[in-house]
Amino acid sequence: MFWLAEGLVYRRQESIIHSLDPRVKLIISFSLFILSLFSSTIFEFIILLSAIFLLGVLSKVLRRMIKTITFSLTFVIMIFVINLLVGYDLIFSIVISLRFIAIISSSSIFFLTSSPDELDLVMRSLHLPYDLIFAFVTAVRFVPVILLDAIQIIDSQRSRGLEIEKGNIFKRIRNYIPILIPLIVQSIIRSEELAEAMESRAYGFSKKRTSYYTLHFKMKDYLILCLHLMLVVLFILLVYFLHL
Amino acid sequence: MIEVESLYFKYPLANDYVLKDINLKIGLGEVVGIMGGNGSGKTTLIKHFNGLLKPTKGFVRIFGKDTREESVAYFSKKVGLVFQNPGHQIFSDTVWNEIAFALKNFGFEEEIINKRVKWALEFFNLTQYKDMSPLLLSGGEKKRLCLASVLAWNPDFIILDEPTVGQDFLQKEKLIEIIKMLITQNKTVIVVSHDVEFIWLLQPRLILISNGTIVKDGDCKSIFKDNSILEKCGITKPQLVELYDELYPLIEQPPVDVIEAYSMILKLLRGLK
Repeated sequence: MFWLAEGLVYRRQESIIHSLDPRVKLIISFSLFILSLFSSTIFEFIILLSAIFLLGVLSKVLRRMIKTITFSLTFVIMIFVINLLVGYDLIFSIVISLRFIAIISSSSIFFLTSSPDELDLVMRSLHLPYDLIFAFVTAVRFVPVILLDAIQIIDSQRSRGLEIEKGNIFKRIRNYIPILIPLIVQSIIRSEELAEAMESRAYGFSKKRTSYYTLHFKMKDYLILCLHLMLVVLFILLVYFLHL
Repeated sequence: MIEVESLYFKYPLANDYVLKDINLKIGLGEVVGIMGGNGSGKTTLIKHFNGLLKPTKGFVRIFGKDTREESVAYFSKKVGLVFQNPGHQIFSDTVWNEIAFALKNFGFEEEIINKRVKWALEFFNLTQYKDMSPLLLSGGEKKRLCLASVLAWNPDFIILDEPTVGQDFLQKEKLIEIIKMLITQNKTVIVVSHDVEFIWLLQPRLILISNGTIVKDGDCKSIFKDNSILEKCGITKPQLVELYDELYPLIEQPPVDVIEAYSMILKLLRGLK
Protein backbone atom coordinates (compact mmCIF):
# COMPACT_ATOMS: atom_id res chain seq x y z
CA MET A 1 0.00 0.00 0.00
CA PHE A 2 2.91 2.31 0.77
CA TRP A 3 3.89 2.74 -2.83
CA LEU A 4 0.46 4.07 -3.79
CA ALA A 5 1.07 7.18 -1.73
CA GLU A 6 4.04 8.06 -3.88
CA GLY A 7 1.96 8.79 -6.96
CA LEU A 8 0.11 11.55 -5.14
CA VAL A 9 2.96 13.39 -3.52
CA TYR A 10 4.95 16.36 -4.75
CA ARG A 11 8.69 15.90 -4.74
CA ARG A 12 11.35 18.54 -5.30
CA GLN A 13 12.87 17.95 -8.72
CA GLU A 14 14.61 19.84 -11.52
CA SER A 15 12.94 20.02 -14.92
CA ILE A 16 11.69 22.54 -17.48
CA ILE A 17 8.14 22.15 -16.26
CA HIS A 18 9.00 22.37 -12.57
CA SER A 19 10.81 25.67 -13.07
CA LEU A 20 7.80 27.31 -14.78
CA ASP A 21 5.60 29.85 -13.07
CA PRO A 22 2.90 27.85 -11.24
CA ARG A 23 0.21 29.89 -12.98
CA VAL A 24 1.45 28.58 -16.33
CA LYS A 25 1.42 25.05 -14.97
CA LEU A 26 -2.11 25.57 -13.71
CA ILE A 27 -3.26 26.87 -17.12
CA ILE A 28 -1.65 23.93 -18.93
CA SER A 29 -3.11 21.42 -16.51
CA PHE A 30 -6.54 23.02 -16.42
CA SER A 31 -6.87 23.44 -20.20
CA LEU A 32 -6.00 19.78 -20.72
CA PHE A 33 -8.53 18.93 -18.02
CA ILE A 34 -11.26 20.91 -19.80
CA LEU A 35 -10.35 19.40 -23.17
CA SER A 36 -10.61 15.90 -21.66
CA LEU A 37 -14.10 16.76 -20.44
CA PHE A 38 -15.26 17.74 -23.92
CA SER A 39 -13.46 15.19 -26.05
CA SER A 40 -15.58 12.36 -27.27
CA THR A 41 -13.67 10.17 -29.74
CA ILE A 42 -10.85 7.73 -29.22
CA PHE A 43 -8.73 9.68 -31.70
CA GLU A 44 -8.99 12.88 -29.63
CA PHE A 45 -8.01 11.01 -26.50
CA ILE A 46 -4.98 9.52 -28.21
CA ILE A 47 -3.78 13.06 -28.99
CA LEU A 48 -4.66 14.38 -25.52
CA LEU A 49 -3.11 11.50 -23.63
CA SER A 50 0.07 11.61 -25.70
CA ALA A 51 0.32 15.34 -24.97
CA ILE A 52 -0.18 14.65 -21.25
CA PHE A 53 2.40 11.87 -21.24
CA LEU A 54 4.82 14.06 -23.20
CA LEU A 55 4.48 16.63 -20.43
CA GLY A 56 5.05 13.83 -17.95
CA VAL A 57 8.31 12.91 -19.71
CA LEU A 58 9.42 16.56 -19.91
CA SER A 59 8.79 17.06 -16.20
CA LYS A 60 10.32 13.66 -15.26
CA VAL A 61 7.22 12.61 -13.33
CA LEU A 62 5.94 10.05 -15.85
CA ARG A 63 6.62 7.13 -13.52
CA ARG A 64 4.65 8.66 -10.70
CA MET A 65 1.91 9.78 -13.07
CA ILE A 66 1.55 6.16 -14.14
CA LYS A 67 1.37 5.16 -10.46
CA THR A 68 -1.51 7.58 -10.00
CA ILE A 69 -3.25 5.99 -12.95
CA THR A 70 -2.61 2.49 -11.57
CA PHE A 71 -4.14 3.71 -8.33
CA SER A 72 -7.31 4.74 -10.16
CA LEU A 73 -7.44 1.65 -12.36
CA THR A 74 -10.07 -0.01 -10.17
CA PHE A 75 -12.40 2.93 -10.84
CA VAL A 76 -11.58 2.88 -14.56
CA ILE A 77 -12.48 -0.79 -14.77
CA MET A 78 -15.64 -0.18 -12.73
CA ILE A 79 -16.69 2.68 -15.02
CA PHE A 80 -16.01 0.56 -18.08
CA VAL A 81 -17.95 -2.46 -16.84
CA ILE A 82 -20.91 -0.46 -15.53
CA ASN A 83 -21.22 1.40 -18.84
CA LEU A 84 -21.21 -1.87 -20.73
CA LEU A 85 -23.75 -3.41 -18.36
CA VAL A 86 -26.08 -0.42 -18.61
CA GLY A 87 -26.15 -0.99 -22.33
CA TYR A 88 -23.77 1.50 -23.92
CA ASP A 89 -21.62 0.16 -26.74
CA LEU A 90 -17.95 -0.77 -26.47
CA ILE A 91 -16.58 2.41 -28.10
CA PHE A 92 -18.53 4.66 -25.74
CA SER A 93 -17.40 2.69 -22.68
CA ILE A 94 -13.77 2.94 -23.82
CA VAL A 95 -14.16 6.70 -24.39
CA ILE A 96 -15.61 7.20 -20.91
CA SER A 97 -12.79 5.19 -19.33
CA LEU A 98 -10.17 7.11 -21.33
CA ARG A 99 -11.79 10.36 -20.26
CA PHE A 100 -11.42 9.36 -16.62
CA ILE A 101 -7.73 8.54 -17.14
CA ALA A 102 -7.19 11.83 -19.01
CA ILE A 103 -8.88 13.86 -16.28
CA ILE A 104 -6.79 12.26 -13.56
CA SER A 105 -3.48 12.44 -15.39
CA SER A 106 -4.01 16.01 -16.60
CA SER A 107 -4.75 17.28 -13.11
CA SER A 108 -1.84 15.29 -11.72
CA ILE A 109 0.53 17.34 -13.93
CA PHE A 110 -0.08 20.37 -11.76
CA PHE A 111 0.00 18.56 -8.43
CA LEU A 112 3.11 16.53 -9.25
CA THR A 113 5.13 19.51 -10.45
CA SER A 114 4.01 22.26 -8.06
CA SER A 115 4.79 22.36 -4.37
CA PRO A 116 2.01 23.20 -1.89
CA ASP A 117 3.73 26.57 -1.48
CA GLU A 118 3.32 27.29 -5.18
CA LEU A 119 -0.32 26.28 -4.93
CA ASP A 120 -0.62 28.77 -2.10
CA LEU A 121 0.90 31.53 -4.26
CA VAL A 122 -1.34 30.76 -7.22
CA MET A 123 -4.46 30.91 -5.09
CA ARG A 124 -3.30 34.15 -3.55
CA SER A 125 -2.80 35.67 -6.97
CA LEU A 126 -6.46 34.87 -7.58
CA HIS A 127 -7.30 37.02 -4.49
CA LEU A 128 -9.08 34.29 -2.58
CA PRO A 129 -9.53 34.77 1.20
CA TYR A 130 -6.46 33.49 3.03
CA ASP A 131 -8.31 31.23 5.47
CA LEU A 132 -9.77 29.36 2.54
CA ILE A 133 -6.39 29.10 0.82
CA PHE A 134 -4.82 27.85 4.01
CA ALA A 135 -7.47 25.19 4.53
CA PHE A 136 -7.14 23.98 0.95
CA VAL A 137 -3.34 23.91 0.90
CA THR A 138 -3.23 22.12 4.25
CA ALA A 139 -5.69 19.53 2.99
CA VAL A 140 -3.49 18.85 -0.04
CA ARG A 141 -0.39 18.73 2.11
CA PHE A 142 -1.94 16.24 4.51
CA VAL A 143 -3.13 13.70 1.95
CA PRO A 144 0.07 11.63 2.09
CA VAL A 145 0.22 11.88 5.88
CA ILE A 146 -3.31 10.58 6.27
CA LEU A 147 -2.64 7.85 3.74
CA LEU A 148 0.33 6.67 5.79
CA ASP A 149 -1.85 6.79 8.90
CA ALA A 150 -4.41 4.61 7.15
CA ILE A 151 -1.75 2.06 6.25
CA GLN A 152 -0.57 1.93 9.87
CA ILE A 153 -4.12 1.51 11.13
CA ILE A 154 -4.90 -1.28 8.69
CA ASP A 155 -1.71 -3.10 9.72
CA SER A 156 -2.58 -2.59 13.35
CA GLN A 157 -6.10 -4.01 13.07
CA ARG A 158 -5.06 -6.88 10.83
CA SER A 159 -2.57 -7.84 13.56
CA ARG A 160 -5.56 -8.08 15.88
CA GLY A 161 -7.26 -10.59 13.63
CA LEU A 162 -9.42 -8.27 11.55
CA GLU A 163 -10.05 -9.73 8.10
CA ILE A 164 -11.33 -6.92 5.93
CA GLU A 165 -12.16 -9.07 2.92
CA LYS A 166 -14.16 -11.62 4.88
CA GLY A 167 -17.93 -11.99 5.06
CA ASN A 168 -20.87 -10.75 3.03
CA ILE A 169 -21.25 -7.19 1.78
CA PHE A 170 -22.72 -5.83 5.05
CA LYS A 171 -20.07 -7.52 7.15
CA ARG A 172 -17.41 -6.08 4.86
CA ILE A 173 -18.71 -2.56 5.30
CA ARG A 174 -18.77 -3.09 9.07
CA ASN A 175 -15.17 -4.29 8.83
CA TYR A 176 -14.13 -0.75 7.95
CA ILE A 177 -15.35 0.69 11.25
CA PRO A 178 -12.19 -0.26 13.20
CA ILE A 179 -10.18 1.48 10.47
CA LEU A 180 -12.26 4.61 9.94
CA ILE A 181 -12.72 5.54 13.60
CA PRO A 182 -9.01 5.70 14.48
CA LEU A 183 -8.36 7.50 11.18
CA ILE A 184 -10.94 10.19 11.94
CA VAL A 185 -9.84 10.51 15.58
CA GLN A 186 -6.19 10.80 14.53
CA SER A 187 -7.05 13.47 11.97
CA ILE A 188 -9.01 15.50 14.51
CA ILE A 189 -6.20 15.24 17.05
CA ARG A 190 -3.71 16.25 14.40
CA SER A 191 -5.73 19.28 13.30
CA GLU A 192 -6.07 20.38 16.91
CA GLU A 193 -2.34 20.05 17.46
CA LEU A 194 -1.69 21.93 14.26
CA ALA A 195 -4.00 24.75 15.28
CA GLU A 196 -2.38 25.05 18.69
CA ALA A 197 1.13 24.97 17.24
CA MET A 198 0.18 27.67 14.73
CA GLU A 199 -1.49 29.89 17.28
CA SER A 200 1.53 29.69 19.55
CA ARG A 201 3.53 30.96 16.59
CA ALA A 202 1.18 33.95 16.15
CA TYR A 203 -0.90 32.79 13.19
CA GLY A 204 -3.34 35.51 12.17
CA PHE A 205 -1.47 38.25 14.04
CA SER A 206 -0.72 40.43 11.02
CA LYS A 207 -3.74 41.32 8.95
CA LYS A 208 -1.92 41.69 5.65
CA ARG A 209 0.21 38.71 4.76
CA THR A 210 3.37 39.14 2.77
CA SER A 211 5.31 36.41 1.05
CA TYR A 212 8.99 35.66 0.71
CA TYR A 213 8.48 34.44 -2.83
CA THR A 214 6.42 36.39 -5.34
CA LEU A 215 5.36 35.23 -8.76
CA HIS A 216 6.87 36.78 -11.87
CA PHE A 217 6.42 35.72 -15.46
CA LYS A 218 9.74 35.14 -17.19
CA MET A 219 10.54 34.93 -20.89
CA LYS A 220 10.38 31.13 -20.68
CA ASP A 221 6.90 31.29 -19.14
CA TYR A 222 5.55 33.52 -21.91
CA LEU A 223 7.07 31.29 -24.58
CA ILE A 224 5.71 28.06 -23.22
CA LEU A 225 2.30 29.56 -22.47
CA CYS A 226 2.03 30.88 -26.06
CA LEU A 227 3.15 27.56 -27.49
CA HIS A 228 0.67 25.70 -25.35
CA LEU A 229 -2.25 28.00 -26.21
CA MET A 230 -1.43 27.73 -29.89
CA LEU A 231 -1.50 23.95 -29.67
CA VAL A 232 -4.80 24.03 -27.79
CA VAL A 233 -6.35 26.30 -30.41
CA LEU A 234 -4.99 24.09 -33.16
CA PHE A 235 -6.50 21.05 -31.48
CA ILE A 236 -9.89 22.74 -31.11
CA LEU A 237 -9.84 23.90 -34.70
CA LEU A 238 -8.87 20.51 -36.07
CA VAL A 239 -11.29 18.55 -33.98
CA TYR A 240 -14.36 20.71 -33.61
CA PHE A 241 -14.37 22.74 -36.77
CA LEU A 242 -12.65 20.58 -39.35
CA HIS A 243 -14.04 17.37 -37.79
CA LEU A 244 -10.84 15.47 -38.34
CA MET B 1 9.61 -20.63 16.44
CA ILE B 2 10.21 -17.86 13.93
CA GLU B 3 12.64 -18.70 11.16
CA VAL B 4 13.82 -16.11 8.66
CA GLU B 5 15.82 -17.43 5.76
CA SER B 6 17.71 -15.12 3.36
CA LEU B 7 14.86 -12.62 3.43
CA TYR B 8 14.91 -9.79 0.88
CA PHE B 9 12.12 -7.26 0.80
CA LYS B 10 11.23 -4.24 -1.27
CA TYR B 11 7.98 -2.35 -1.59
CA PRO B 12 6.19 -2.79 -4.94
CA LEU B 13 7.55 -0.44 -7.64
CA ALA B 14 10.40 0.69 -5.35
CA ASN B 15 13.96 0.37 -6.60
CA ASP B 16 15.92 -0.53 -3.50
CA TYR B 17 15.57 -3.39 -1.10
CA VAL B 18 14.53 -2.29 2.39
CA LEU B 19 15.72 -5.60 3.86
CA LYS B 20 18.68 -7.51 2.49
CA ASP B 21 19.70 -11.07 3.26
CA ILE B 22 18.21 -11.40 6.75
CA ASN B 23 18.79 -14.73 8.48
CA LEU B 24 17.34 -15.31 11.92
CA LYS B 25 16.01 -17.95 14.25
CA ILE B 26 14.02 -16.95 17.28
CA GLY B 27 12.87 -19.71 19.63
CA LEU B 28 10.47 -19.76 22.57
CA GLY B 29 11.42 -18.29 25.94
CA GLU B 30 13.78 -15.66 24.54
CA VAL B 31 13.99 -11.91 25.06
CA VAL B 32 15.16 -10.28 21.85
CA GLY B 33 15.99 -6.62 21.39
CA ILE B 34 16.07 -5.12 17.91
CA MET B 35 17.90 -1.81 17.57
CA GLY B 36 18.98 0.39 14.70
CA GLY B 37 18.77 3.93 13.41
CA ASN B 38 15.69 5.54 11.90
CA GLY B 39 14.73 3.96 8.58
CA SER B 40 17.04 1.01 9.09
CA GLY B 41 14.21 -1.48 8.52
CA LYS B 42 13.29 -2.56 12.06
CA THR B 43 9.55 -2.04 11.67
CA THR B 44 9.59 -3.57 8.18
CA LEU B 45 11.27 -6.64 9.66
CA ILE B 46 8.78 -7.14 12.49
CA LYS B 47 5.88 -6.77 10.07
CA HIS B 48 7.18 -9.96 8.46
CA PHE B 49 6.80 -11.87 11.71
CA ASN B 50 3.01 -12.10 11.46
CA GLY B 51 2.70 -12.00 7.70
CA LEU B 52 1.62 -8.37 7.30
CA LEU B 53 4.42 -8.14 4.75
CA LYS B 54 5.47 -11.08 2.63
CA PRO B 55 9.10 -11.53 1.55
CA THR B 56 10.07 -10.49 -1.97
CA LYS B 57 12.71 -13.25 -1.89
CA GLY B 58 13.47 -15.85 0.77
CA PHE B 59 11.28 -17.28 3.50
CA VAL B 60 9.71 -16.42 6.82
CA ARG B 61 8.36 -19.45 8.64
CA ILE B 62 6.32 -19.37 11.83
CA PHE B 63 6.16 -22.72 13.60
CA GLY B 64 7.26 -24.24 10.31
CA LYS B 65 4.58 -22.58 8.18
CA ASP B 66 5.49 -20.19 5.37
CA THR B 67 3.85 -16.77 5.89
CA ARG B 68 2.72 -16.77 2.26
CA GLU B 69 0.50 -19.80 2.88
CA GLU B 70 -1.90 -18.45 5.50
CA SER B 71 -3.72 -15.25 6.43
CA VAL B 72 -2.41 -12.55 8.75
CA ALA B 73 -5.12 -13.51 11.24
CA TYR B 74 -3.83 -17.09 11.36
CA PHE B 75 -0.29 -16.00 12.27
CA SER B 76 -1.43 -13.17 14.54
CA LYS B 77 -3.00 -15.71 16.86
CA LYS B 78 0.52 -16.94 17.60
CA VAL B 79 2.42 -13.70 17.12
CA GLY B 80 0.99 -10.63 18.82
CA LEU B 81 2.20 -7.30 17.49
CA VAL B 82 1.81 -4.14 19.56
CA PHE B 83 2.35 -1.04 17.44
CA GLN B 84 3.98 2.16 18.56
CA ASN B 85 1.02 4.51 18.35
CA PRO B 86 -2.08 3.51 20.37
CA GLY B 87 -4.04 6.03 18.28
CA HIS B 88 -3.71 3.66 15.35
CA GLN B 89 -5.75 0.91 16.95
CA ILE B 90 -8.15 2.30 19.57
CA PHE B 91 -11.68 2.54 18.21
CA SER B 92 -14.15 0.85 20.57
CA ASP B 93 -16.76 2.53 22.74
CA THR B 94 -15.45 0.97 25.96
CA VAL B 95 -12.14 -0.31 27.26
CA TRP B 96 -13.74 -3.73 27.71
CA ASN B 97 -14.76 -3.96 24.05
CA GLU B 98 -11.36 -2.75 22.91
CA ILE B 99 -9.73 -5.74 24.57
CA ALA B 100 -12.47 -8.12 23.46
CA PHE B 101 -12.18 -7.04 19.78
CA ALA B 102 -9.31 -9.32 18.86
CA LEU B 103 -10.71 -12.21 20.89
CA LYS B 104 -13.98 -11.98 18.96
CA ASN B 105 -12.08 -11.85 15.67
CA PHE B 106 -10.23 -15.02 16.56
CA GLY B 107 -13.55 -16.70 17.33
CA PHE B 108 -13.09 -17.49 21.02
CA GLU B 109 -16.16 -18.52 22.98
CA GLU B 110 -18.08 -15.94 24.99
CA GLU B 111 -17.08 -17.47 28.32
CA ILE B 112 -13.39 -17.51 27.47
CA ILE B 113 -13.57 -13.94 26.14
CA ASN B 114 -15.05 -12.72 29.44
CA LYS B 115 -12.40 -14.55 31.42
CA ARG B 116 -9.50 -13.30 29.32
CA VAL B 117 -10.68 -9.68 29.23
CA LYS B 118 -11.16 -9.68 32.98
CA TRP B 119 -7.69 -11.09 33.48
CA ALA B 120 -6.12 -8.50 31.13
CA LEU B 121 -7.94 -5.60 32.83
CA GLU B 122 -6.77 -6.71 36.25
CA PHE B 123 -3.24 -7.44 35.14
CA PHE B 124 -2.78 -3.97 33.67
CA ASN B 125 -4.65 -2.09 36.41
CA LEU B 126 -7.40 -0.99 34.04
CA THR B 127 -10.42 -2.55 35.77
CA GLN B 128 -11.77 0.77 37.04
CA TYR B 129 -11.90 2.07 33.45
CA LYS B 130 -13.68 -0.92 31.92
CA ASP B 131 -16.85 0.98 30.95
CA MET B 132 -15.07 4.18 29.95
CA SER B 133 -14.25 5.25 26.42
CA PRO B 134 -10.63 4.28 25.71
CA LEU B 135 -10.13 7.63 23.99
CA LEU B 136 -10.41 9.37 27.35
CA LEU B 137 -7.48 7.47 28.89
CA SER B 138 -4.08 9.13 29.36
CA GLY B 139 -1.21 8.36 27.00
CA GLY B 140 0.38 5.82 29.32
CA GLU B 141 -2.92 4.09 30.00
CA LYS B 142 -3.65 3.85 26.27
CA LYS B 143 -0.29 2.20 25.78
CA ARG B 144 -1.09 -0.28 28.56
CA LEU B 145 -4.48 -0.92 27.01
CA CYS B 146 -2.85 -1.82 23.67
CA LEU B 147 -0.54 -4.25 25.42
CA ALA B 148 -3.50 -5.68 27.35
CA SER B 149 -5.53 -6.12 24.17
CA VAL B 150 -2.73 -8.21 22.65
CA LEU B 151 -1.78 -10.25 25.73
CA ALA B 152 -5.46 -11.10 26.18
CA TRP B 153 -5.38 -13.74 23.47
CA ASN B 154 -2.20 -15.25 24.91
CA PRO B 155 0.10 -15.34 21.85
CA ASP B 156 3.39 -17.25 22.01
CA PHE B 157 5.38 -14.37 20.58
CA ILE B 158 4.86 -10.79 21.71
CA ILE B 159 6.42 -8.08 19.60
CA LEU B 160 6.58 -4.58 21.07
CA ASP B 161 7.36 -1.65 18.78
CA GLU B 162 8.84 1.23 20.82
CA PRO B 163 7.04 0.31 24.05
CA THR B 164 8.75 2.97 26.18
CA VAL B 165 7.89 6.07 24.14
CA GLY B 166 5.92 8.49 26.32
CA GLN B 167 6.13 6.28 29.41
CA ASP B 168 7.38 7.43 32.79
CA PHE B 169 10.08 5.49 34.58
CA LEU B 170 7.65 3.66 36.84
CA GLN B 171 5.81 2.29 33.79
CA LYS B 172 9.09 1.24 32.22
CA GLU B 173 10.04 -0.69 35.35
CA LYS B 174 6.64 -2.33 35.35
CA LEU B 175 7.02 -3.23 31.69
CA ILE B 176 10.34 -4.91 32.45
CA GLU B 177 8.65 -6.92 35.20
CA ILE B 178 5.87 -7.96 32.81
CA ILE B 179 8.36 -9.00 30.13
CA LYS B 180 10.38 -11.03 32.64
CA MET B 181 7.21 -12.73 33.85
CA LEU B 182 6.21 -13.60 30.29
CA ILE B 183 9.59 -15.22 29.75
CA THR B 184 9.02 -17.51 32.72
CA GLN B 185 5.86 -18.71 30.94
CA ASN B 186 8.03 -19.73 27.97
CA LYS B 187 6.82 -16.81 25.83
CA THR B 188 9.14 -14.87 23.57
CA VAL B 189 9.22 -11.10 23.73
CA ILE B 190 10.75 -9.12 20.89
CA VAL B 191 11.33 -5.45 21.69
CA VAL B 192 12.08 -2.83 19.05
CA SER B 193 13.41 0.25 20.80
CA HIS B 194 15.69 3.27 20.70
CA ASP B 195 15.83 3.34 24.47
CA VAL B 196 19.29 1.97 25.35
CA GLU B 197 18.71 2.16 29.10
CA PHE B 198 15.55 0.10 28.79
CA ILE B 199 17.24 -2.47 26.57
CA TRP B 200 20.17 -2.67 29.00
CA LEU B 201 17.85 -3.41 31.93
CA LEU B 202 16.26 -6.22 29.90
CA GLN B 203 19.63 -7.78 28.96
CA PRO B 204 18.21 -9.40 25.80
CA ARG B 205 19.75 -11.16 22.86
CA LEU B 206 20.44 -8.08 20.77
CA ILE B 207 20.03 -7.73 17.02
CA LEU B 208 21.49 -4.61 15.43
CA ILE B 209 20.16 -3.53 12.07
CA SER B 210 21.65 -0.94 9.77
CA ASN B 211 20.56 -0.22 6.18
CA GLY B 212 18.37 -3.28 6.05
CA THR B 213 20.99 -5.83 7.03
CA ILE B 214 21.79 -7.45 10.35
CA VAL B 215 25.07 -6.01 11.54
CA LYS B 216 25.32 -8.04 14.72
CA ASP B 217 23.24 -10.66 16.47
CA GLY B 218 24.45 -11.63 19.89
CA ASP B 219 24.70 -11.12 23.59
CA CYS B 220 23.70 -7.66 24.81
CA LYS B 221 26.78 -7.27 27.05
CA SER B 222 29.36 -8.03 24.41
CA ILE B 223 27.69 -5.80 21.82
CA PHE B 224 27.50 -2.79 24.11
CA LYS B 225 31.22 -3.15 24.83
CA ASP B 226 32.05 -2.96 21.10
CA ASN B 227 32.55 0.72 20.24
CA SER B 228 32.99 0.31 16.47
CA ILE B 229 29.67 -1.50 15.97
CA LEU B 230 27.75 0.94 18.16
CA GLU B 231 29.15 3.84 16.17
CA LYS B 232 28.21 2.17 12.89
CA CYS B 233 24.58 1.85 14.01
CA GLY B 234 24.47 5.25 15.68
CA ILE B 235 23.69 3.87 19.13
CA THR B 236 24.91 5.42 22.38
CA LYS B 237 26.02 3.43 25.39
CA PRO B 238 23.87 2.89 28.47
CA GLN B 239 25.15 4.81 31.49
CA LEU B 240 26.12 1.65 33.34
CA VAL B 241 28.35 0.59 30.44
CA GLU B 242 29.96 4.02 30.49
CA LEU B 243 30.61 3.54 34.18
CA TYR B 244 32.23 0.22 33.35
CA ASP B 245 34.42 1.93 30.72
CA GLU B 246 35.60 4.38 33.34
CA LEU B 247 36.35 1.71 35.92
CA TYR B 248 37.85 -0.86 33.56
CA PRO B 249 39.93 -2.94 34.35
CA LEU B 250 38.93 -2.62 38.00
CA ILE B 251 35.65 -4.39 37.26
CA GLU B 252 35.44 -7.23 34.71
CA GLN B 253 31.81 -6.94 33.62
CA PRO B 254 29.44 -3.97 33.20
CA PRO B 255 26.81 -4.04 35.97
CA VAL B 256 23.29 -5.01 34.93
CA ASP B 257 21.52 -2.56 37.23
CA VAL B 258 22.25 0.11 39.84
CA ILE B 259 22.17 -2.36 42.70
CA GLU B 260 24.85 -4.50 41.09
CA ALA B 261 26.90 -1.37 40.31
CA TYR B 262 26.64 -0.37 43.95
CA SER B 263 27.85 -3.71 45.23
CA MET B 264 30.70 -3.73 42.69
CA ILE B 265 31.89 -0.31 43.78
CA LEU B 266 31.52 -1.23 47.44
CA LYS B 267 33.73 -4.24 46.79
CA LEU B 268 36.28 -2.02 45.06
CA LEU B 269 36.35 0.44 47.94
CA ARG B 270 36.82 -2.38 50.44
CA GLY B 271 39.71 -3.64 48.32
CA LEU B 272 41.32 -0.19 48.38
CA LYS B 273 41.24 -0.12 52.17
